[in-house]
Amino acid sequence: MTVSLYQTGVSGLLAAQQQLGTTGHNISNVNTDGYTRQRAEQSATEGLTTGPNYIGTGTYVDDITRIYDQFSYKEQLTNKSNLGNANALHNRLTQLDQMMSTSGNAVVASVDEFYKALNGIADDPNNAGLRSIFLTQAESLSSDFQALNDNFDKMKVSVNGEIEQVAQKISEISLELAKINETILQTQGLNQTGQPNDLLDKRDQLVSELGEYTQVNTLVDQNGVMSVMIGQGTTLVAGITPLTLEVKSGDPDPLKTQLALVGANSSVAINTSTLGGSLGANFEFRDEHLAQTRSEIDRLAMAISSTINDSQASGLDLNAKQGAMIFTDINTTALQQGRVSAPSTNSGNLDAQVLINDVSKIPTDEFEVRYDGVNYIMTNMTNGASETLGAPGTGPFTPSNPDYGFSFVENSGTPSTDDSFVIKPSHNSAAMMNMTLANGDAIAASTAVEVTASTHNVSDGQIDISNVSDPEAARIYNNVTNSGLTVDVFESAPGTFSYRVYNSATPPPAATIANGTYASGTSALVDLPPSPATAAFQIKISGDLVGSGTAARETFTIGDAFGVGNGNNVVAMAKTQEQGITNGNKETFSQSLAISTSKVGSKASNANLVADTAEAMFTQAFNRNQSTSGVNLDEEAANLLKFQQAYQAASQIISTANTIFDTILSAVR
Amino acid sequence: MRVSTTQFYQQSALQMSNKTSDVNEQSAYLSSGKRVLTAKDDAVQYAALAGFKGDLANIEKYQRNITMAESQNSLQEVVFADVENLLDNIKQDMLLANNGRMSNDDLQALANQMKNSFEQVLDLSNSQNEKGEYIFSGYQTEQKPFSQQVDGSVNYSGDTGVNELQIAKNINLATNQHGDAAFLKVANNIGDFSASYTTNNSGVAVESANVSDRNTYNTSTIPHDYTFTFGPGSTELNVVDSGGANVYSTLAYVAGQNIAFDGVDVTLSGNPLPGDSFTISEEENISIFSTMNDAINWVERGVVQTNQEQHQVDYNTLLDQVNSVMNHISSQRADSGIRLQVLENQKSRHLDTELNLTTGRSNIEDLDFSKALAEFEQSKVALQASQQAFSKVQNLSLFNYI
Repeated sequence: MTVSLYQTGVSGLLAAQQQLGTTGHNISNVNTDGYTRQRAEQSATEGLTTGPNYIGTGTYVDDITRIYDQFSYKEQLTNKSNLGNANALHNRLTQLDQMMSTSGNAVVASVDEFYKALNGIADDPNNAGLRSIFLTQAESLSSDFQALNDNFDKMKVSVNGEIEQVAQKISEISLELAKINETILQTQGLNQTGQPNDLLDKRDQLVSELGEYTQVNTLVDQNGVMSVMIGQGTTLVAGITPLTLEVKSGDPDPLKTQLALVGANSSVAINTSTLGGSLGANFEFRDEHLAQTRSEIDRLAMAISSTINDSQASGLDLNAKQGAMIFTDINTTALQQGRVSAPSTNSGNLDAQVLINDVSKIPTDEFEVRYDGVNYIMTNMTNGASETLGAPGTGPFTPSNPDYGFSFVENSGTPSTDDSFVIKPSHNSAAMMNMTLANGDAIAASTAVEVTASTHNVSDGQIDISNVSDPEAARIYNNVTNSGLTVDVFESAPGTFSYRVYNSATPPPAATIANGTYASGTSALVDLPPSPATAAFQIKISGDLVGSGTAARETFTIGDAFGVGNGNNVVAMAKTQEQGITNGNKETFSQSLAISTSKVGSKASNANLVADTAEAMFTQAFNRNQSTSGVNLDEEAANLLKFQQAYQAASQIISTANTIFDTILSAVR
Repeated sequence: MRVSTTQFYQQSALQMSNKTSDVNEQSAYLSSGKRVLTAKDDAVQYAALAGFKGDLANIEKYQRNITMAESQNSLQEVVFADVENLLDNIKQDMLLANNGRMSNDDLQALANQMKNSFEQVLDLSNSQNEKGEYIFSGYQTEQKPFSQQVDGSVNYSGDTGVNELQIAKNINLATNQHGDAAFLKVANNIGDFSASYTTNNSGVAVESANVSDRNTYNTSTIPHDYTFTFGPGSTELNVVDSGGANVYSTLAYVAGQNIAFDGVDVTLSGNPLPGDSFTISEEENISIFSTMNDAINWVERGVVQTNQEQHQVDYNTLLDQVNSVMNHISSQRADSGIRLQVLENQKSRHLDTELNLTTGRSNIEDLDFSKALAEFEQSKVALQASQQAFSKVQNLSLFNYI
């Protein structure tokens, strides 16, 4: 009996030691990330039968377990992915918002300054100083666009850098997880009953870390080996086989990098849009938000260049030459070709480009043109609407339903069936926007021709110069080819107005240059010189020009308007500041920019809300998990005392047994 | 709920970090005085804000244009005022010259004085602005618009260009008057024709001659010269066009009656005598300079002994034309004045709008300081509280007692 009392005491002593050890382990790991508190599970040993009774023989530690709630752990993991995603997106969008609000505002300020300078020329067309100020402002406008574009580039590079780092990190985690799986598998083989707690913690911790980058699902088999799936179920670790995540350059845009899971002899592309976590956020930011904002800015740069250049081209500079482009032509070969990119998988050799016809109609969407073996079919990648463009060789193809303001032009070569081409209509416009005017004299402040009404006119109608495509030719046609042009109009029948355009030197009955009629309430547009010659300018006849009779019509003369003091073309140019141009003639330039900026702002502020919610959700899940698995030092301190006392008591059992033994010995001595 | 030690520290740290970030954010608003620092702060209103800013920028542009237009129009106004004075001098000189007691020397002295005025008007018509640009030469601002020829006549070498500046969203206002309209296109006092008298014994004069029916007029014989001949009957009048065709004929001309032919209406003053004859030719406008030249020539004729009736008719026509010139210059001056008034109106309208827009912008963009300060204090207190709570609670540990 006493022998068993010794054993009972020793068993208590040993158990208390293990308890103390476990408590100490808990205390030491109070700050270890991912640590799950452990507990030594103590049981009473089976009693000995002595006669009818069972007598207890002490205690033993039957297992050291993790206080682990799989459900709350998984909840925490899911929330961590969401938090990672929301935080990453929030950070990126905040960055973009700040950039748009600072660099973007710089662009707004330069647009304002640009127009201020332009308006200055209108005030005093012949002032070389004002002209050179304007050139400086134009230069700074284009360089602000380039700076904004550079910032977009830097952001893209930084996002790509992060994607690359995370991919590498995930690969490392994958290797480590596989290693842990292997160790666990080996220890399982040793017929151990206890769990390798700290190894499991380590594995869970790695999975948690993974969870921040991407959505994770895990599956543990009967051997304790964990398979890890990322995104929507793509296996990253299959038991003891790790796969690695590799970044591949995009096709056709190499900077639009993609991910692939690479194994010993396999490589599978991953759908980056369903990754979740911070990695998913980075892809979403780069491919949606940044791309969208960028194409809006590109479109704006294009619209400004095109509008100013067009306006400039309809006037004459100080040397009576047609205004040269102030900004880079929006349809240079480089720009046109840059708008189309072809994936390397295309087997045909078609080389194509995109010509911009009307900047006001250009959308910010991306398009895909695919050759189905018979026709080109263009699809809007944003809304999926598609249109058949026609068979190869019958181009250029201008989508008409709806008209996006551009044409798809074949350059050379032929496509093979299923070849596709990506079109970004405003691609590179901001990057390649340059001020191209060398000399302030070249600003086309002067108009070429103007209309003067005869003082004998009796009615209210008017004739305007509605369009000037070639001011030099217009001037020559008016002043040299003809001795000035005269337009006369009268009401030939009630509600019908007849007009004639003729050389002022040879009035009718000599042959007229153009004639026709228009109905009351409408107007007539007359190209001069008329077709088949190339029109240099166009006049618009409108209003009820009644006249005093066949022989006394309302008369207008078109005269030379060129002069160094003529600033009327610049006045028209300056007015484009207030005209709705982009997005279907709805937005002025600064409105357009403000809308882009506010879009980013609202996305950022939404992301902020989402991030706050995700933070709260994660905190809840974290707290739930911690309340089960976290170490509480007070609790451990109490346990420490408890087990210390148990240890002391167990020692007392041994001492008691010893005393008993001594008593018996002295009794028989 | 069981709270783990890590959880406590993490939570406290998170709380304090959030509150620090609040305080930081609010102090950024306070130091900038704006509640919208980036679009994120108020995405909905940001576009409206940009709209306000754009409109304000436009108004600034209009105001600058108004200033420019004002300076140019005031300069013209001043020039026209000077021309008015000079024309008044010429008129006074003419009134003096018509005094029958004037000797040839007196008349020559007057003529010289008038020539002086002429020179000054010419000089004014070649006025330049502060930038050295000729203000009456249309678009040809580097070109001196008016130059006197050897024969005394004045040529215009500007054009009819009118520059406009945008002074409001839909209002463009002319900043200059070209010399053609200002000095050349002065309405002929008689109407559309001028008369040249061949024989004038009675002092008959063309009072008015206007085209009333342009359709008929345009289809009649060109050039539009009509010769009026009275007689041989005592009240007989015949009008012959340049082709020699008789276009009007009456045997009973009544003084002052309307004579209509070829779409032209003519009335005469005086009681013509048989034998009187004159020709009218188309001349809608007479330039200031030619009127002044004619006036000077008239004075330089000196004391006239023969054909005094005709001399007087010429005088009357000239004086009327000088009046017409003065009216013309006054109306040009009024044009500038009206423009200045429009500019003034627009300017004050812009100031009103600017105030509205600034208020609108400020409502969106500017910080409500009292509210912001209250929020700032609140966040500060919250941060302080959580710091104090943390420092108190983190001392509590059972380990302190064992």
